[in-house]
Parts: sequence; structure tokens; C-alpha cells
Amino acid sequence: MALTDTRPESGTDATSVAPSVVPSPLTIFGSGDHKAVGTFYVLAALVFGIAGWIATALASAHIVGSGSFLSETAGTQLLQTSKIGLILLVIVPLFLGLATYIVPLQVGASTVAFPRAAAAAMWTWLLSSGVFVVASFIEGGFGGERAKSVSLTLLALGGLIVALLLGTVSVLTTAITLRTPGMTLDRVPMFTFSMLVGGAIWMLTLPVLFANLLLIWVDHRYGGGTVFGEASSQFGQVSWITHQPQIYAFLIPGLGIVADVVATLTGARLGKRNLLLTAIGAFGVLSVGAWAQPAIFPSVSEDLFWQAMGLLILLPLLLLLGGIAAAFKDGKPSLKSPLGLAVVSIVLTILGVFAGALLVITPLELRTTNFFANGQAILVLGAALAAGAAGIGYWGPKMTGGHLADGIGKLNVLVMLGGGILGGVSLCVVGFSTRFTGLSGAQDTLVVISVLGSALFAIGCVLVILGLASGARKGAPEAGDDAWGTGQTLEWACPSPPPTGNFGELAVVRSPEPLLDKEA
Amino acid sequence: MTAHVLPPAPPVQRPRVLVVGAAFAAAASFMVFIGLIGIYLTSRSDVIGSGSTWLPEGSTIPLQQPNTMFMTLLMTVVTMQWAVSAISKNDRVNAYLALGLTLMLGIATIVMTTYLWTLMELDVASGLQGVLIYTITGAHTVMLVLAMLFVALMALRALGGQFTARQHDGITAAAVYWYAMVAVYALIWISIYVTK
Repeated sequence: MALTDTRPESGTDATSVAPSVVPSPLTIFGSGDHKAVGTFYVLAALVFGIAGWIATALASAHIVGSGSFLSETAGTQLLQTSKIGLILLVIVPLFLGLATYIVPLQVGASTVAFPRAAAAAMWTWLLSSGVFVVASFIEGGFGGERAKSVSLTLLALGGLIVALLLGTVSVLTTAITLRTPGMTLDRVPMFTFSMLVGGAIWMLTLPVLFANLLLIWVDHRYGGGTVFGEASSQFGQVSWITHQPQIYAFLIPGLGIVADVVATLTGARLGKRNLLLTAIGAFGVLSVGAWAQPAIFPSVSEDLFWQAMGLLILLPLLLLLGGIAAAFKDGKPSLKSPLGLAVVSIVLTILGVFAGALLVITPLELRTTNFFANGQAILVLGAALAAGAAGIGYWGPKMTGGHLADGIGKLNVLVMLGGGILGGVSLCVVGFSTRFTGLSGAQDTLVVISVLGSALFAIGCVLVILGLASGARKGAPEAGDDAWGTGQTLEWACPSPPPTGNFGELAVVRSPEPLLDKEA
Repeated sequence: MTAHVLPPAPPVQRPRVLVVGAAFAAAASFMVFIGLIGIYLTSRSDVIGSGSTWLPEGSTIPLQQPNTMFMTLLMTVVTMQWAVSAISKNDRVNAYLALGLTLMLGIATIVMTTYLWTLMELDVASGLQGVLIYTITGAHTVMLVLAMLFVALMALRALGGQFTARQHDGITAAAVYWYAMVAVYALIWISIYVTK
């Protein structure tokens, strides 16, 4: 049995008193309730998202024109910090928070595995994130001038990785061991399956990032900083997580969210489901990028394997898109904001992965400058954020107990789409300036457009928080058990918000859409 | 708003939560060393490829102590499995003995590691080699300490009578993490100590 936990199956029955919707810091402190932990992850990640996208906008704005408002070093450090921050402080914890909340419900479990470890992971992540932000501000970014601040940054990043991995272990163990009877792995909901794949890839690759950070820290602190700890080479050793193929690994749970949202809001079963599960698995395999470290393997971008991965990843994505398109064709799409955000996520994913495929084609010379790669990263991270926003809009009624204001969500559809197109595509266009010299003159304008795009993503994070708040406010229309009326998976069979223990007793699951079976 | 009421399911079987969680933790720890050793081997290959010797002038890595540590850790695999086997037969005396022996051999390995560090005459600030070797061996020592804490905690729970022949997941989980630690040492032994 668990080291410190109560038995996962020993939760009280579903008639218990429901927990408060958005727990206060005092009630969350010491709580191992997966709903409280998940909600806090999501809210904190969105707050960091606002800061992260503003930092990205400022880092881009700094290169516009000749008179920058930041020094060269500060501008570079801001760009590096925002890139790492958007992944480890925003996207991964956003998905992990949703998974901590939703995966136990989707698999019919009474709680998450290792609930106290999940809570400890969340607090460690929050503390490490705070230390990372503070240390970065006191000249402690990668290659920063204050040695002690740099050490603090490295230790904070180490803490972040350990915390995120611990949280991932909780979610993965839940999906593997606590499934309700009859729910075989091929019957788990798409989000749970995508978390299994994404989490497994994170478990394989984030420890390698930890190894990089360990070497940098040991050399920086004890070794004289001449090898791994050398100021100018520090970010280069960890930058692989911001490039393809690794950056796709942070998008994987988003694919599952999109599939779940589309299935429910079109009212159609996903056809050829096993093929879609295989596609998510293949997407995961093709996103393993820990080996593609330019600092260790300088010619990695000329490597055939790296180039093949960049092209092949289009195939599982196309398979997945085919399945989602079929659901649109077979069902009756309900024009709700989560569906709109899912479509935005799909559009940005296609653009991001397609841009990645162009990036590996050497004759296009898109790797000569960083513009194209930065634009691609914004597209992929924007796709992940839009998927997270879709997930929050979709499961928000379950989390808050009330329907979210759909108008805010619909506004966010436009904001996120604009953010991705303006923020990512404009930088990708600048990337072509090595081949089309006429573009060089428009560089400043395109970068300013990109700044606007990043600012839109920050606004998008604010809108997601406002949307959640609208569901939690007094007087919000009650969500009921099945907020959409077309729920297919088990999370829609428990009250909103779920009480302690989540469910009473569940039927044996006989298909991936148990609620449709029940109705049929 | 449709309320779904589902018929009752059969009782949930007790899942092996802790064993699966420990396996994930072991896999993550293993990957840290895959990363470190990958960088070590690449760096060493580059240095040797440039015509230099890997270890700096005056530094040596004797093989006797690493071999002894490897044998010691291989013995701990036996003692750990002995503990799992004993507790699964409700043989508490043998389980306590095996867990205690495992911890003692773990301590012996830590002592031997620190002794080896004094013999190597390699400074962490000597450059690439010092940073890599001390980071990898130091990180493994940390992993060993974590594994020992896990085993010690499970030994205390066993002493408290919490494990039975039917329910001994804690000791199995500790064993899973312990075996991963030994497997990591096997990688270090071949990569750093044997092939220099």
C-alpha cells in the first residue's frame, strides 16, 4: 500500500458534502484532495501564463528598432527565461493540474494515487516557480552576472522538474492502477490516454534536463564554471526542451483534450478509436528530443534522424485530425466556446507542426536565424495553451459547479487565434528573410505584430481565469452531473463539483463511452 | 442536464499502487543517469578523438574499489530479494535480517565510494573530467541514500507489523527502486571505471 496514503479505494461515498469550489489557500494547505490540488495548479499556471506571455512580448519588443529599453544581456536572459518559464511554469503544470483533477474522474477512481505526494508536488512546484522568477530578476538567469543568483535559478529549476515529475507519477499511477472494472487501457478517455503518453515522455526526458542542470550547477558552484557552467553556454545546454522535437511533448495532453471536447460537443463517438490512440502514441514517440542536444551534438540539425522525426510527426497528426474531422461530420457540433478553442488549438497545432517540418528542410535555410524556430515555438505553445483553455472551458462546469459564461469563452476563441497567428506566423515570416531579401525591411513591423500576438495570449490567460470565476460565482446556472447533456465519459456521471470520494458505485465499463452505453 | 445513475459494480480489487509508483520513480531516476552517462561518453569520445588522454595527468581511477562496490551491490540484490521472498511467506525474522543486511551493505558502498574519491586525486575544478565524474558518482550516492531511506522506512513498517504475506507492496516497491539503483551502478561501473 502507499507509503503515506489512505487506500485509494477507501473514499467515502458520493453523498458526502461537496468541497468548496475554489479552495482558499488555507484549506488547500495540507489537503490531499485531488480536486483542490488540480484547481490550484490550473489557477497558478494561468497567473504564470499572464507573466510568461508578457515576458515573451517584452523580449521580442526589445529587438525592435535600434534603441532598446533593455540591455543586450537582460534582453537575452528575458527571452531565455520566458521560453523555459512558458513550458515549466505554464503549459506542463496547466495540463498536470487538469489531469490531477480530471483523470481520477475519467477512470472512475475515488482519488488520485499518492494524494499527499501530489499535493507536495504542487507546493514544491509553486515554491520553485517563485524562486525561479525572483532569482531570474536578480541577475540570475542563465549566464547571469550574480553567481549566487544563478545557483538559485538552477536549484529552482531542479526543484521544478522534481515536482512536476512527482505530480506526473501520481497521475500516471492513477491511470494505470485505479481504473474502474472493465476500463481497459484502450477504453480510457482520450485525455487520460494522452496524459499517459505525454506523462511517459516527460518521465523519460525531463530527467535528462535535470542531468543537464546538475552538470551546470556542479561546474558553476564547484568546478570554476569553465565547462558546463560557462556563462555563455548554460542556456545552450537546456535549450533543447524549447526546440523540436521535444517541444511537441508538451502538446500531447492537448491532443487528448481536443479529442474529448470534440467527441462530447459534436455528440458523436470517435470512430476508429484504436487508430487515434496509436496516433497519439506515435506523436509521443516522435517527440522524444532529449537526445537532440545541440550543445553535445552540434550537428544535430544536419542529422537525418532529426530531420526525419520533424517530417514523420505530420503523419500521426494527420491521422488524429482525420478522426476529429469524422466526428464533426458524424455528429452535430454544438457551437460552444470549448469547441471553438479546440478548433483554435487544432489550427495552431497544424501550423506549428507544419512549420517544424519546414524547419528541418535544409535548403530553405530557415535555421540561419532564430526567428522561424521562435515563431514555431510560439505556435506550438499557443496550441497547447488553447487546448488547456478548451479543457478548462469544457471541464469548468465540473470544477465550479456552474456553467461558465460562454461569451468570455467565445471572445477567447478570437483572442487565442489572433495570438497564435500574430505571435507565431509573423516570426515565421521573418524567418524567410534570408531567402527573400525584401522581407528584411519589414522585420521590425513583423516583430511588433508578434509582440501583439504574445500580449493576446496573456489576455487569453486572463479570460480563462475570468471564465472560471464566472462559473464559480453565485447565481451561475447549475451544471448538474452532465453539464453538456452529451457526456460520454465517467467524469460526467458524478456531481459537479464532485464530492469527496467522487463516485458512489460505478457500473462495469463495457466501452470507451460508458455513458452512451447506459443511455442506449 | 442529464443525471446518470449507473448500476453497481463488483468490489474494486486492491491495486499495486506503490509498486507502480516506485517503478515510475525508478525509471525517472534511471533516465537522469542515462543523460549524465550519455554526456560523459560523448565528452570522453571527443577528448580521446582529439588525441589527448581522458584522465588528467596524475589522476588515476583504481579498479579494485569499484569492483568491490559492484560485488557488494550485487549481493544487495540477493538480500533484497531475500527480504521480498521472506515477507511473502510471512517469515518476519528472515525479512528483518535481509533488510538489515541490505542497509549495512548500502552503508559499506557509501564508505567505499568516499574512499575511492580520496584515491582518485582528481579535483572537481580540474575541468571536464572532474565535473563529470564527481557529478555522476555523487548523484549515484544520492540515489543510493534515497533507496536506503526507502528500505529503512519499509523495514520500520515491517517491524510495526504492517506487511503480511498477502500485502507487502511496500517492500516490493523498495526492492524495485533498489534494483534500479544497482542497475545504474552497473552502467557507471562499465562506463567510468572499466572503460577509461
